[in-house]
Amino acid sequence: MIVNTKWLEKYTDIPYSPEELEEKLTYLGLESKIIENAADRIEGVIIAEIQEVLPHPNADRLKICRVATGSETLSVICGAPNVMPGQRVPLARIGAVLPNGMQLKPVKIRGIQSEGMICAEDELGLSDDHSGIMVLPDNAPLGGDLRNYLTGNGISIDIDLTPNRPDCTSHIGVARDITLLTDGELRIPAINFQESDALTSDFIEVEIENPIGCPRYAARIVQGVKIGPSPQWLVDSLLSVGQRSINNVVDAANFVLLETGHPLHTFDYRMIVGKKIVVRSAVDGEEVVTLDGVRRELNADVLLICDAEKAVAVAGIMGLENSEITEDTTDILIESAYFDPATIRQGSRYLGLQTDASYRFERGADPDGAIYAMNRLTDLIAELAGGTVTRGIVDNYIRKIEPARIKVRFQRVNALLGLEIEPQWMVTKFRKLGCEILTQDADCVVLKAPGWRPDLEREVDLIEEVVRIYGMHRVPNAREMHIQPNYEEPLNYKLVEQLRQSLANFGLYEVYNNSLVSQKHTGFGPQKLTPVPIRNPLGKEMSLMRSTLVPGLLQNARYNINRQNNDLQLFEIGFVQQFDRKYETHAREFQRYAVLLTGYLEEKYWGFERRAVDIFVLKGLLIAIFEKFGITAVEFQPSVHDHFEILIDINYRGNMLGYFGMINKTYLTLEWDIEIPVFVFEGDLTTLLENANLGKSFTPLPVFPKIERDISILVKENLKIAEIEAIICKNAGEYLKELKFYDLYQGKNIDKGLKSITFNLVFQANDRTLLDIEIDDKMAALHKILKEEVGAQLR
Amino acid sequence: MSLLEDIHEVQRQLQHDLSQIDINAQSVENLRIKYLGKKGLIAGLFKDFGALSSSEKPEFGKALNTLKKTAEEQIKSLQNRVAEQDNKGTSFDYTLPGYPFRQGRLHPITQTMNRICDIFGEMGFGIEFGPEVETDFNNFQALNFPPNHPARDMQDTFFVDKDILLRTHTSPIQIRTMLKTKPPVRILAPGRVYRNEAINPRSYCVFHQIEGLYVDENVTFAELKLTIEVFAKRFFSKDVQLRFRPSFFPFTEPSAEVDISCIICGGSGCRLCKHTGWLEIMGCGMVDPNVFTACQIDPEKYTGYAFGMGAERIALLKYGIDDIRLFYEGDIRFLRQF
Repeated sequence: MIVNTKWLEKYTDIPYSPEELEEKLTYLGLESKIIENAADRIEGVIIAEIQEVLPHPNADRLKICRVATGSETLSVICGAPNVMPGQRVPLARIGAVLPNGMQLKPVKIRGIQSEGMICAEDELGLSDDHSGIMVLPDNAPLGGDLRNYLTGNGISIDIDLTPNRPDCTSHIGVARDITLLTDGELRIPAINFQESDALTSDFIEVEIENPIGCPRYAARIVQGVKIGPSPQWLVDSLLSVGQRSINNVVDAANFVLLETGHPLHTFDYRMIVGKKIVVRSAVDGEEVVTLDGVRRELNADVLLICDAEKAVAVAGIMGLENSEITEDTTDILIESAYFDPATIRQGSRYLGLQTDASYRFERGADPDGAIYAMNRLTDLIAELAGGTVTRGIVDNYIRKIEPARIKVRFQRVNALLGLEIEPQWMVTKFRKLGCEILTQDADCVVLKAPGWRPDLEREVDLIEEVVRIYGMHRVPNAREMHIQPNYEEPLNYKLVEQLRQSLANFGLYEVYNNSLVSQKHTGFGPQKLTPVPIRNPLGKEMSLMRSTLVPGLLQNARYNINRQNNDLQLFEIGFVQQFDRKYETHAREFQRYAVLLTGYLEEKYWGFERRAVDIFVLKGLLIAIFEKFGITAVEFQPSVHDHFEILIDINYRGNMLGYFGMINKTYLTLEWDIEIPVFVFEGDLTTLLENANLGKSFTPLPVFPKIERDISILVKENLKIAEIEAIICKNAGEYLKELKFYDLYQGKNIDKGLKSITFNLVFQANDRTLLDIEIDDKMAALHKILKEEVGAQLR
Repeated sequence: MSLLEDIHEVQRQLQHDLSQIDINAQSVENLRIKYLGKKGLIAGLFKDFGALSSSEKPEFGKALNTLKKTAEEQIKSLQNRVAEQDNKGTSFDYTLPGYPFRQGRLHPITQTMNRICDIFGEMGFGIEFGPEVETDFNNFQALNFPPNHPARDMQDTFFVDKDILLRTHTSPIQIRTMLKTKPPVRILAPGRVYRNEAINPRSYCVFHQIEGLYVDENVTFAELKLTIEVFAKRFFSKDVQLRFRPSFFPFTEPSAEVDISCIICGGSGCRLCKHTGWLEIMGCGMVDPNVFTACQIDPEKYTGYAFGMGAERIALLKYGIDDIRLFYEGDIRFLRQF
């Protein structure tokens, strides 16, 4: 909503500068921003009149203009095609500064001195128009300062209105809010027109078929009007809030809309068949052509204004072409109605059409204000376009809208706000708002809200008014805060944050991905969930809720690889959804965590060889994560899937913790355009936390020395390390405390089909110092068993 | 003076010189010449020694040898230190970079949300979560958004079904919490939310919100102001000024927007604050009685406040980021900066 200070001053005095007004309105809940006026930057340009236009002796296209400023006559060279004697024009004299910073200097053009410049709009920074010089109205004051002339119409302020304030879609409404601060009077324009003897009811009858959609419909006729241009004040007023003048009648209706906030409609009475207005719901599939020339198909949500035969307007949204005011209209039917907000909103949404009218009706117009607005428009039309006004209003008000009666307890106001405001101050402000005080005693007041404030329904709505008018910024902070004891540790939340921090500490970067994805994403991987579909997506690429985090990470990988960053260690923690009608929300939600590794762990560096990521880097990372949560001895189970070169399921006590693997090369190239190996993991966070063993207990530290031994053997290359470890553990006896695999070698000096492997064994007793000899015996026995069971050769 | 006294005198002198010496190649060489040189003090003593009778020799010989040995050792040690210094000076390069320790980073949104949760956590707010796919009841109706109300336009919604949608704010967590817990309730509700808005530098269809809710007897607007001010000063800077101005949210009344004085220009006006001097950081207000009624809480007995902010917006302001899409691209060059 744009308001103009000069316009506002018609209704109340404003003792503030524009900047003060901007701030005060904002503090009242009307978030305001002064609209900068381009004319503010023009300096030294005056209004002059062209008296004579003479040809330039040395150039066909240039002219010498004799220009009067009121005090002198200057000679100015001008090349504009539209320059003519008698025009009032902006004249930049020597020394003037134009908005682009250019300062005018005396100059000779083709041998003739020019004492200034007649400006086009673009040269003044007012528009991009350079088709000709700017021509001002004939009444522009000769010799007057152009900036003062152009900004004399007040300062315009853009208000970002909240949906609860339909009253402030009007200048009177905003002026009323200003009086709350100034305690000044609100001046509502008086109505002056005379009615003729012709009865309105002889010309029109109103029938409301849908009283839910249209509780009130009032009509009146103005006969014998003359459509023509609007007077300058009206043109200027509309222009000051960014609206173009059309003709006197249409402009008057727009003016009253912006003045009172009540949308009105004017019909050419000639086009209304059968002296009748019928308000009804549209029929599914019914078609109309609206004022903007668009053919629109309607449905039953749309409310129509019809005559005896046809539709003439889409109620509360837009009129139709078939009944619009034209140059030769003489008799006008004025509509001023109250339409139901929800009905208008439904219709407006169905048509995808929001207008000044629908914007106001769907927020709640003033059912009582309909009559004043009608009279005000009648008055303006009679004044501007002549004509006679029929006697009386046909006012069909079949469903009365009653403003709320509200009891406000003074103590409650102060208790909720934490203030101590005098009851009388509150009552004074309620009156200023337009409330009618019904009863009042020491504790409370009962009042009736004004029709223009449909948002005032309950006590708390008035409490809001009190703090709004008092000024939220003036409410002092409380001195104390009331903190509730919390006996419960928010465990899961903390654990998730710990996991996040651990992954970052392990060197991974956290990413966030869009959870609205395409089928390519939801179709990924071994754990396919039915995705949750979005009915009204932004596009096909974002039509499903994600069901796995890995594709998001693959997308990140491609994004970075395309920017020459191949070394990526990424993770994401987030929710995925599964479509399932068994749930209230049709969705089952899982919290997941996922990792992606590519390239090298370290950047190129001196002093060590950097490690390329592989499946065992990822496996080690996962084991470290699980250990953080007290989960040791997880089971790794090989699995198979088209999208994976290597795929391993991770199980713990019968629960699947997740899967990890290396993405299939072909799939990666075809679907993701990635040419380097990619390793991924995805796990279920809830399962991890449910299986976490977080209780920690102390084991006494060993007091007796340990004995370490290595065992190096050659075995068949297809023998699994885990199998050999199992044999060692089973046979090494009770003193084996640790068993660590630490070397694997194949190649030179090792026969084909064999591999050399080395373990480190730590022996320790809790009650005595072990003897070397007994461990030597143990090791010899182990060698023998390994030889017997798996054919191991000692190295 | 007997030779023994001379030996002791040289001994004392040596110790004195050692304690005074400024160690470098020249001074150590000078010291060596002074004591161990061919014409040095110790050589001089040996000359005197040669003149002694054979009966005197054993007694003085032992003392003299000890002196010589001590001098040799101590001067050798000094020579070593000089050599060491030289060595370092030539081949040890302390400017070589240290080996990199691997480090990852938390996403800036995580860091922002964690900081916010920490500050409110210290003010006694617990953490609650809720699902991203929600019912119309929890997301709108219980929060006092009537069907077909223009307030719903403020939050363009993705629908899964007629009454099932992607939550447009984390406020449904308020409803879920109040339905299962009786007051007092003091919670923070962080989470991912969705708005059906085209993706551009200023808006993204997915973002994160953190909401707070406090419900008890005698909760006032003045206490809400205190709580928000403590948060804003701790999160941004203790110098920021706050501005509460009336606004509208269906689920709070009175409702307010909170602005802070611009963290770049301090209020004088700059590009970040669009020359207003203020930055909008959150919305808040007193819980609307209709919300209490929807949660079967007596609005006469209890009052409460709620506040909510967008983590992305806060992070944009805090880090001076100019494009919200950067949060969702996973660009490693971006992530490394936080």
